[in-house]
Amino acid sequence: MIHIFDGAMGTMLQDAGLAPGACPELMNLDHPEVVEAIHRKYIDAGSTIIETNTFGASSLKLEHYGLADRVEELNLAATAIAKRAAGTRAKVAGSLGPTGRFIEPLGDLSFDEAYDTFHEQAKALAKGGVDYFIIETCIDLQEMRAALLAAKDAAPAIPVICQLTYADDGRTVTGTDPQTAAIVLTAMGASLIGVNCSLGPEELIPIVKTLAENTDLPISAQPNAGMPRLENGETIFPMGPAEFGSWAPKLLTAGATYLGGCCGTTPEHIRALKSALAGQEEPVRPPIPKRLWLTSRTKSVCIDKELPTHLIGERINPTGRKKLAAEIAEGSLLSVKKEALGQVKAGAAVLDVNMGVPGLDPVPAMRRAITEIAQITDAPLSIDTSDAETLEAGLRAYPGRALINSVSAEDERIEKFLPLAKRYGAAILCLPITEDGIPKTIDDRVNAIKTIVTAAKENGLKDGDFLLDALVMTVSADKDATRKVLDTLAAYRRVFGYPSTMGLSNISFGLPNRPLINSTFFAMCLAAGLDAPIMNPYDEAMMRALKASAALLGDDPRGFAFSKDEANLAVPKKAAEQKTTDLPILEAIKQAVIEGEKDTIVPLVVQAINEGYPSDDITNKGLTDAMTIIGEYFGSGRMFLPQVLLSAETMRAAFDKIKELIPAAAKAENGTVVLATVKGDVHDLGKNIVSALMANSGFRVVDLGKDVAPDEVVEAVRREKADICGLAALMTTTMPQIDKTIEALRAKGLSTPVMIGGAAVTRDYAKSCGADHYAGNAVEAVKLAKEICGVA
Amino acid sequence: MPIYNAPLLAIDPKETRRYAGLMKADTFDENLILEACQDGRLLAEPKGVWELYDYDCDTQTVKADPPFTIIGEKIGKHLACCDKVILLSATVGDAIEEEVTARFDRGEYAASVLLDASATTAVEQIADGMEKAIKPKMAAQGYSMRWRFSPGYGDWPLDQQPELVRTANATAIGVHLSESKMLVPRKSITAIIGLYKEGTGTSPLKKGCASCTQKDCASRKK
Repeated sequence: MIHIFDGAMGTMLQDAGLAPGACPELMNLDHPEVVEAIHRKYIDAGSTIIETNTFGASSLKLEHYGLADRVEELNLAATAIAKRAAGTRAKVAGSLGPTGRFIEPLGDLSFDEAYDTFHEQAKALAKGGVDYFIIETCIDLQEMRAALLAAKDAAPAIPVICQLTYADDGRTVTGTDPQTAAIVLTAMGASLIGVNCSLGPEELIPIVKTLAENTDLPISAQPNAGMPRLENGETIFPMGPAEFGSWAPKLLTAGATYLGGCCGTTPEHIRALKSALAGQEEPVRPPIPKRLWLTSRTKSVCIDKELPTHLIGERINPTGRKKLAAEIAEGSLLSVKKEALGQVKAGAAVLDVNMGVPGLDPVPAMRRAITEIAQITDAPLSIDTSDAETLEAGLRAYPGRALINSVSAEDERIEKFLPLAKRYGAAILCLPITEDGIPKTIDDRVNAIKTIVTAAKENGLKDGDFLLDALVMTVSADKDATRKVLDTLAAYRRVFGYPSTMGLSNISFGLPNRPLINSTFFAMCLAAGLDAPIMNPYDEAMMRALKASAALLGDDPRGFAFSKDEANLAVPKKAAEQKTTDLPILEAIKQAVIEGEKDTIVPLVVQAINEGYPSDDITNKGLTDAMTIIGEYFGSGRMFLPQVLLSAETMRAAFDKIKELIPAAAKAENGTVVLATVKGDVHDLGKNIVSALMANSGFRVVDLGKDVAPDEVVEAVRREKADICGLAALMTTTMPQIDKTIEALRAKGLSTPVMIGGAAVTRDYAKSCGADHYAGNAVEAVKLAKEICGVA
Repeated sequence: MPIYNAPLLAIDPKETRRYAGLMKADTFDENLILEACQDGRLLAEPKGVWELYDYDCDTQTVKADPPFTIIGEKIGKHLACCDKVILLSATVGDAIEEEVTARFDRGEYAASVLLDASATTAVEQIADGMEKAIKPKMAAQGYSMRWRFSPGYGDWPLDQQPELVRTANATAIGVHLSESKMLVPRKSITAIIGLYKEGTGTSPLKKGCASCTQKDCASRKK
């Protein structure tokens, strides 16, 4: 059946006398007849579902008007008006709009505050007797999750329509794509999924299509009347009723059977929409395959027997990792986040998160870890815990569809974990362990999984929510361990058809050369149907086995990717590029410095010393010559600052080695340079670069740091008998401190040459402030310094 | 006071390369750039805040309480025909800055400079993300947005930074000014965005690098 929503409420209220800046929801009390008349106009135009005038009737929105304590009153009044207008002609949907604030960590509103706000409003709407809840115009999936949970808790029997708003790039403001939205909201128990506002009907068509391809739920679409513009101080939506209506059949074909309008639409638009849909056939939507999807806020990943293997990264787990555990216990998640990014880079598609540190409260630890990891990676997460409260904290905080690791056939897990999986729309990793322990036979394993799946389905979970663990035992303790795993994989496919997983490394416990056993076992399991191993993606042997298996099993057709992988080539490409080694040693040193090859320089220097070259030759003919060439390259635009710095690092490594081996080689200095970033200026990277290059070029550098007062500079120049004083300032606001410092120097009778530089500093400024020299960049500064000291 | 810490899932390596002054350095190891972007993401603590005000473009006044009169001919022209403005501030926090310094101290000069460039990229990306959130809200009221502009560019004096910090409510995200009017944390921005109605005039300024007088900047876009 095709259902017709109403159109805009706000603009209609303004036309009927709502003052700009006044609270639209207050009209429910002050002018109920106006609100009712608008509802009637929409019903007369053909609406079969009208929305209550409660879009902003949540405490957080009403706060702006000082009405936060009147949530129930305003929602009840609005519901009564809508029901009166609807009679038996239309259904009433209670409208819930966004709070206007972002949920942590994107904003300053907590998930629980958002939930409470929506719960209070939904309770009132339910009390008033709405037929649906409609959560609309949400731009953040996490806010939608809070609202959906709240609405379902407030009145479990009332269907919930969830409409997000997408920008012109096809994603919500916070990055969620319609596929991810459909997966998350379907799993969490929305009754209808849709889209409204922001875009016109044409732009909504691809979004509706994507939604329809990713859920079996009905789809709703309520576009704007085109994109708004302002004329004579009024916001105009350019699309007229006829054109608006003409898009309706296309939205219907795309999959939307609940259609209406948002900003700029009027009863005439709805009438046109209705008439355009008259006689139209409802689209037939084939049921979507029930595959296992996991999502983050912005990305969906499918684990399925027909798709290539996905890795679940196991490294975010402090068990047996003392350093990581200690760091987590101290409250730092830096290494955890490093593991997150590192594993994704290494090829993990899903990240398992375990926060089990002895003595640490796992609930806040999991909440924080999930929140922070979700901020830096779009890989979906798996929440690894045996504690229900910890699990819920993680699930609540996660703005996507997580995997629960794990649910066994033990009573407590079934009782506590399955309702949470349903409530938060998570998938479950099923572990064939019963109250009696690990089943001995394949049949018993299958039966244990059956117990979990049956209980899960009783809790409302569905096909597509399960990942089955084949439970790996140790082959050194049980010679049939591998066979059992392979047979279990086969049995899972045969009996359930769900995708499978396992933690692999247990198989080799107690054996030598575990990498070989593990990777061989891995290849066997992949052939037997393993879909998503939980493993260490940094393990090269395993990754090689995975890539080879992909080529062998057809996931990498004709081994194309395998052939392109440099690791598999007989002669690595890199080998051809190694040039420095064939050169005479001093030339090789020079080249290594120019190329910034920090790792090769030290052995080259050692070799030169061993071959009997005096340190002066190494320094002059190798290092200094290199620096001269680098200066030329930099000046002519062939080399750039970071490259110069790599060379500088290389050179420093060479110097350090020479000094270490021939302490007498500590050279007489070219001169002393006092460097400072002036008072008030905290940007000192530029000055630091000058300092590093000067030091490399044989100057004794006294670096006073940043935010240095004129007096300090004066004192240092005198104390150190400086040959040059270098001053840096980044901004126009701090540049005058250069003048002051020079003044101070001269006032004390110091005639030391002053060189200045910095982003906003110019040659003209240098002249005007009495500086002796201006350096546009660090390389130029070194060159000038050499000239000043007569060592050029 | 809308707080929006725009998601930052990855730092753009291309922009990082540009800010590092490596646009023409074709042979520079991409892995070093990617590493800097990843480390930057690890250390960044993205935060953002914005405020909406009425604006009088004739007197260049932001109608805050107390009002804020903008000085500068170019910024005045850029905001011509705007009757509302958004003041915003964004930051990546302190941790990334501390690591930039620590790397330099350890002699990892290049890694330090590249991380610094990734932080610059990150703070711009956060501001871009904020604009993405603000744009539809403003479009619903019929407004389009001029590109964001910060003091220190053109002839808009940095001396006005305190007024930007105040009107953007930057302290809500931990951004404040040092005595010398520099933003702390260092990798922070403040900016203004003019809101105008379509068809009421355009900014005479060129967008981005083209409007900047630093012609020999290594990061200048062609």
